[in-house]
Amino acid sequence: MISSDPLGAVYASRSSARVLNGVCVLLVGLAVLAIWGADLALYPVDPWQELDRIGQGLLLPRWDEPVVLLQAVGQTVAFALLAVAISVPLGLLLSMFFHRRMVRVLCASVRSVHELFWGLIFMQLYGLSATTGLLAILVPFTGVFAKVFAEMFEQQSRDPLLTLAPRLNSLKRHLYTDVPQAWPALVSYTRYRFECALRSSAILGFIGLPTLGFHLETAFKQGQYAEAGALLWAFLLLIASIRFWVRPRLIPVYLLLAVWLLPETAGFSNGGYFWQFISQDIWPVALREGDLSGALDWYGYMLSEQVWPGLVQTLLLTQIALVLTGVIILLAYPLATQSMAGTFMRWPGRFLLLVLRSTPEMMLAFVFMLLCGPSGLPAVMALALHNGGLIAFLVANASDAEYGSRLSRPDDPKGLLRYAYIETPRRFPAMLAFLFYRWEVILRESAIMGILGIATLGFYIDSAFEEIRYDRAFLLIAVTALLNVLVDSLSRRLRRLAQTEPSRQQEMSCLKME
Amino acid sequence: MSRPSVLFQLSDQSLAYGDHRVLDSISLKIHRGEKVALLGPSGAGKTTLLHLLYRQQPEQVALQPQSGGLVDLLSVYQNIFIGGLDRVGTLPALWNLLRPLAGHRRAIGALVQTLGLEDKLWQSVDRLSGGQRQRVAIGRALYRQQPVFLGDEPVSSIDPLQAELLLEHLLAQHETAVVSLHNRQLALNHFQRIIVMRDGRICCDAPASELSEQCLDAWYQQADASSSADPVSAPDEWALAQS
Amino acid sequence: MSFVRRMMALVLLALPAWAQAESFVFTAIPDADESRLQQRFGKVADYLTEQLGVEVKYIPVKSYAAAITAFRNNQVQLAWFGGLSGVQARRLVPGSEALAQGYEDQFFKSYIIANTRTGLAPSDSLSDALKGKTFTFGSKGSTSGRLMPEFYLREHFGAAPEAIFGRVGFSGDHSRTIAQVQAGAYEVGAVNYAVWEKELEEGKIDPSKVTVIWTTPTYPDYQWTVRGDVDAHFGAGFKEKVRAALLEMKAPDLLASFPRQSFVPASNDDYGPIEATARAIGLLDD
Repeated sequence: MISSDPLGAVYASRSSARVLNGVCVLLVGLAVLAIWGADLALYPVDPWQELDRIGQGLLLPRWDEPVVLLQAVGQTVAFALLAVAISVPLGLLLSMFFHRRMVRVLCASVRSVHELFWGLIFMQLYGLSATTGLLAILVPFTGVFAKVFAEMFEQQSRDPLLTLAPRLNSLKRHLYTDVPQAWPALVSYTRYRFECALRSSAILGFIGLPTLGFHLETAFKQGQYAEAGALLWAFLLLIASIRFWVRPRLIPVYLLLAVWLLPETAGFSNGGYFWQFISQDIWPVALREGDLSGALDWYGYMLSEQVWPGLVQTLLLTQIALVLTGVIILLAYPLATQSMAGTFMRWPGRFLLLVLRSTPEMMLAFVFMLLCGPSGLPAVMALALHNGGLIAFLVANASDAEYGSRLSRPDDPKGLLRYAYIETPRRFPAMLAFLFYRWEVILRESAIMGILGIATLGFYIDSAFEEIRYDRAFLLIAVTALLNVLVDSLSRRLRRLAQTEPSRQQEMSCLKME
Repeated sequence: MSRPSVLFQLSDQSLAYGDHRVLDSISLKIHRGEKVALLGPSGAGKTTLLHLLYRQQPEQVALQPQSGGLVDLLSVYQNIFIGGLDRVGTLPALWNLLRPLAGHRRAIGALVQTLGLEDKLWQSVDRLSGGQRQRVAIGRALYRQQPVFLGDEPVSSIDPLQAELLLEHLLAQHETAVVSLHNRQLALNHFQRIIVMRDGRICCDAPASELSEQCLDAWYQQADASSSADPVSAPDEWALAQS
Repeated sequence: MSFVRRMMALVLLALPAWAQAESFVFTAIPDADESRLQQRFGKVADYLTEQLGVEVKYIPVKSYAAAITAFRNNQVQLAWFGGLSGVQARRLVPGSEALAQGYEDQFFKSYIIANTRTGLAPSDSLSDALKGKTFTFGSKGSTSGRLMPEFYLREHFGAAPEAIFGRVGFSGDHSRTIAQVQAGAYEVGAVNYAVWEKELEEGKIDPSKVTVIWTTPTYPDYQWTVRGDVDAHFGAGFKEKVRAALLEMKAPDLLASFPRQSFVPASNDDYGPIEATARAIGLLDD
């Protein structure tokens, strides 16, 4: 009933800088320790011929079939739009029941599986079809929306609830109080997630959906860099222009168009092997046949040969990547702000951040592997640049939103001093919180390390699907999900400890400016 | 039963946040049918007391918190409608967000006339003035249609003439009412019983007929003296009462 | 909660799971050049439509695993598989049958290639100098890029690749393997010989930087595999009609898509060695 506790706030604020520093030192310390254990090696390479071809391809993009390109762009948007349109209401519904542990665990576990793996799972059930693509995006997104929406609701004033009848059902209560109260935040977060959905949709092309990623992966894989360049540029343009073409009034039209644009499903009629998949395929043979000792052997083998080593490598790389991401943010965000780079000079910075966050990590990892050979190093660099670019973009937006507001003073310092004394201290708590949010994303994305010969959990999951061993895939995915639930709760605790929960309202209002 | 039943009862109730005592051994009985005014300087513990009372009988109470509890993006109509949500099924309530239900539209249309808001019915409340917002909050409390009204300074931002009329209306529509006020005259004119609080204690609990404005003022002056001596004269209402 | 459940059911039902009218569907992943699949194999579909008298469609897939899944789910009835993926698919779909293989697939082989800076020289046998080098396979499910090279490496060194080499990666594609070894990102790699020859011809390979150091013995690779139940769906004798149509595919532009000079008959038994190899290195469970 009591809305504030001033004394508590006084105690907390006295030491919040110290707590923040403590958390950072802990994270950096862990990362330094991880460097000893992680697989980071530098190999002599001679990449210039290949890099030259990549550079030329990017500068001189070429694409001969405009229709195919348009179709791919259209379908990328269609999958993203429909998936978001379905997952937002579902996430909203789940967020209303987020106080139940079961709902929280369910959401954390669907979030923890990478879209690509969802795609592979649904492909077993729905074939290569529009349903597979939609579900692969909307299932994890529903989990994300539920969590974030629930957090937004938590931040709303409790007063309206007191004026309601005490035993209203959750749906009515939320729809008339929390939802309208949080509406601006919900809308801008959804906008931001739409950009993420476009990325996911494009990347699902890697496993066969007819989106941009389908052609991009082929072209890149086969060294047709001019084509790859054209597709990458098309994708960057698509993302950069979101604010020009996403208009609330046009959304119904877009949705209809999207349904129409969804690819036809060729030759799929039997509804898949759903039952067989969940009752047989995902369990080891020994277990299905009731051979307990055989099953134990199997689990023992998996645990010692794949789960444990995978877990260790995943955690080590994630930790290093996390800290490196922080460094990248601190280096990159001022380049894109009005207050430090200037009204015009921030555009190159913003462009750089756009490129970093929109280029699939797999491609970044490949380029870095050419530069320093196969090891954890290119993986860490790719993850850090991609995620650092994304968070730096959010942080720069927050800075721009404040620029010229009542918080700024004419006697504020400029340049480096401004960076050190005004901007960074102000952005730091929110930045740290974003970083914690991305932690689980970085964990998931470690699946890209296969090309680098680094056996993370994602590597083993990918192998299991390739070898049609769904029992292994299922076990490994379950372990990943569990790890994610743990990391999620740990990062929530750290956020609370450091009191770095960013005012989402603020984050979102800056997103709206974009 | 010759005497009406007891509705709210507190015996030796204390409440503290850390070292800070908000309520200090409060004992209180309020019967059905009573109209009670709650007076006292900011930070005396009135809001906390009202919330405690609310928790005793949430099923019968229409509470009007100090902030009003309005939902900014919703229209005046929807904000008042919220008071009647328990009388509507889930699906009609959903539908009502898109198209107002005819019956409620009529009832609320009549209600806003009493409130003097008829031309604002479809405006979102974030565009309203403080007084208008408070009238919407009163509308919601009335639309709850409960026997008991608990109001935390429900008419503080409304001009005096209209404040008096609306307070009268609120009291007429509810069998029992406990209302915190700043305006001593209003309390004396419209309530049978007056409770004065200071520093988390009840320092006076008497029938209105036995009190006068002068004797009420005395309580406030003592309080003002103590608050001006207090270096932390923060706007937060809890900050004052640390003695 | 019941309301929530109803909503979920509604949404899931409304998802488009459009079933198409019964047509004969096939898929194919060529070992080289995966671009413009739809256009290139659309022509093959047209040819088969003409020969078989039913509508034939092509769907492009990205990986052997996806092709196997589609085959198992009966989303495709005919597939151009690699040696290993064909074995895996036929295990999952009882009654399915290898119909034809490429002429070249009767005696397919893989190359072990090395960056010239390693100083590794071409040889008739695997050299011990390979030990401790960094090594990349192609895709995890590839016969020529993984299965057979891994088999011969294990046979020669008596150890798993991870124990032989300093690092083992999976490039995901033969072209990638070549590019990575050429750039020195990996020192040694295993590659499909046909892709190597093609890229060499196209001038994508700089012989001063990367060279073939060993060639595997030959083995059977790509083949057409058809589901066992097609006769029931498309009429008796359909399977044989498909086989005949494949063997009679002579037009160079059709064959260039695979790329093969012609197709010759094949049977499940031809792939016994592949299956045994896959078992031997633990890629297939018993």
